[in-house]
Amino acid sequence: MLEKWQKEFAVFVPSKASGVSQMEVWDGQDTAFLDRNRNTAVPPKAKFLPGMEKMFGFRKEEGSYVVEPTDGEPPKQLLFGIHPCDARAIGIIDMVFKDAYDDKYYLSRRENTVLVGMACTSPYDSCFCTSLGFGPADATDVDIMLIDIGDALLIEEVTEKGRGILAGAKGVIEATEKDEKEAAAARESANAKVSRKIDTAEISRRLPLVFNDREFWEEVSAKCVSCGICTFLCPTCYCFDINDEMLQDGSGARYRNWDCCSFAIYTRMPAENPREEKWRRVRQKVYHKYLFYPELFNVIACTGCGRCIRQCPVNWDITQTLSKLPAGSPGKAEEKQKAS
Amino acid sequence: MTISDISHRKRYLPEGNVYLPHIAVIEKIIYETPNVKTFHFNFKDEKLKEEFTFESGQFGEYSVLGIGEATFCISSSPTRRDNLECTVARVGKVTNALHRLGEGAEIGFRGPFGNSFPLDYMAGKNLVLVAGGIGLAPLRSLIWNALDNRAQYGSIDIIYGARTPGDLCFKYDLESWEKDSSVNMTTTVDREAPDWQGNVGFVPAITEKVAPSAKNAVAIVCGPPIMIRFTFPVLEKLGFTPAQMITTLEKRMKCGIGKCGRCNIGDIYVCRDGPVFSYEQIRNFSSDEY
Repeated sequence: MLEKWQKEFAVFVPSKASGVSQMEVWDGQDTAFLDRNRNTAVPPKAKFLPGMEKMFGFRKEEGSYVVEPTDGEPPKQLLFGIHPCDARAIGIIDMVFKDAYDDKYYLSRRENTVLVGMACTSPYDSCFCTSLGFGPADATDVDIMLIDIGDALLIEEVTEKGRGILAGAKGVIEATEKDEKEAAAARESANAKVSRKIDTAEISRRLPLVFNDREFWEEVSAKCVSCGICTFLCPTCYCFDINDEMLQDGSGARYRNWDCCSFAIYTRMPAENPREEKWRRVRQKVYHKYLFYPELFNVIACTGCGRCIRQCPVNWDITQTLSKLPAGSPGKAEEKQKAS
Repeated sequence: MTISDISHRKRYLPEGNVYLPHIAVIEKIIYETPNVKTFHFNFKDEKLKEEFTFESGQFGEYSVLGIGEATFCISSSPTRRDNLECTVARVGKVTNALHRLGEGAEIGFRGPFGNSFPLDYMAGKNLVLVAGGIGLAPLRSLIWNALDNRAQYGSIDIIYGARTPGDLCFKYDLESWEKDSSVNMTTTVDREAPDWQGNVGFVPAITEKVAPSAKNAVAIVCGPPIMIRFTFPVLEKLGFTPAQMITTLEKRMKCGIGKCGRCNIGDIYVCRDGPVFSYEQIRNFSSDEY
């Protein structure tokens, strides 16, 4: 099937060939990723919002600037084996790239991509997706979803796009009732393996209670070294920087790169910086995901993929931070909000 | 009609890929102060030159191609269509590069972005316009806009201050507003200076002295954050309600369209929801990072 898709799409699969596990072009042979089935270190967002991308080129012609847009439509791509948390993350950041002004770079890639999901059967200790409203084997924001049921993969069609890529596929047979049962059992067992939990109930009420509690945030952020790895590897972090490069002949290009709210320079202005202090930057990260983004788009911008916990050099843990929030019974929260 | 309504008003929206800059030519450069220049520019594309509109208070992203982009308001008035103007203090990489450009050089422009001063809300009211330093740039767009539609407004009070006489921007405008009998103009500098016969004192203190009436008035205050922080309480003492006080906020920006992330104050994005806010809105922000 992958070979069939390869004719139409650039097929990307989870791979560690470059040293870091990420989505890479399938070599046409290796299928080890089917057995490994663990989440990549670099999230698939990189296939829509690359770490660095050229926005346009420019050159000087007879003393006058000519802006050269990057060439047309991006190639059609198929991401195979994307986990539900990462697919959900793409669904979440779609909203900001569609909001008000279309972001052509992101959206044209998104349009040209098919997502083939793979149910996650061995979540990490650091995973907590079940607290964010879905399970590791749920078909969220994918075009088709695969679940390993022992000697076969059960395919769930989710979207029209997904139906399209299955049309005429060889070796696909109708699932039996037994297959369905096995899939349900696999889903249940995957759900049960996600042992880490956060309490998202009333979180929009509880977060404001500590917003102005500087001591709380200083303690929470004390060990953070502002390295930014949690942002760069977060599947829902989308902030970017824009920079120019120029050659001696006056031609050049504008690029955008992943940026990070953990860096003081991110918000620094000539005369002042609203988030010069580290505790403000850590607070921004937590609030953006759990309060500000939900206020704008009605969804928490975290999928519990656990990368920020696994990859942090100083073991900073967002689930610990969230667990320290005051319980704040609804009555109390309102009182405090009123008082402030 | 409250100020928050204006963000939904129909306005010129850049088409196509909003990240692509339009090339414009600098037609004239005015030296405002040793550190500030005003650039008069026009789009190269005739059709865009014809169709482009904006509103007082909106901003653009200006490029020196190869160096980068920076954010400034459009300091000219939409009522004067000969050219567009921006007024730039030399503070960073891009602004230094801009200052090195001469007349005839080309820049990139994206915009207009952001909301604008609530002209509908201000119509029929007395205007109290308070500015400090280069903060006069966004207000200047509004002032010429109001003067070109003079009949739509009541009295116009302008209070403008700078550190020294040499730091006053738009001296040519100040002169013509002083001559305009329909404008009550007050200029001040922070400290005594040789050959300066005008007012001496900080903008908030001078505002208190001028004591504009709050009745049927709206105050618009633009300048350094410290000036704004001290001017609002003075206006409150004079009877202005928070809804009657308007300002513009400044943040580091890159995209200008609410995507790149950095200009937020809580769930407010200054580029998308601002830069014009009433004090009523500001004091209700969930965050103090403004």
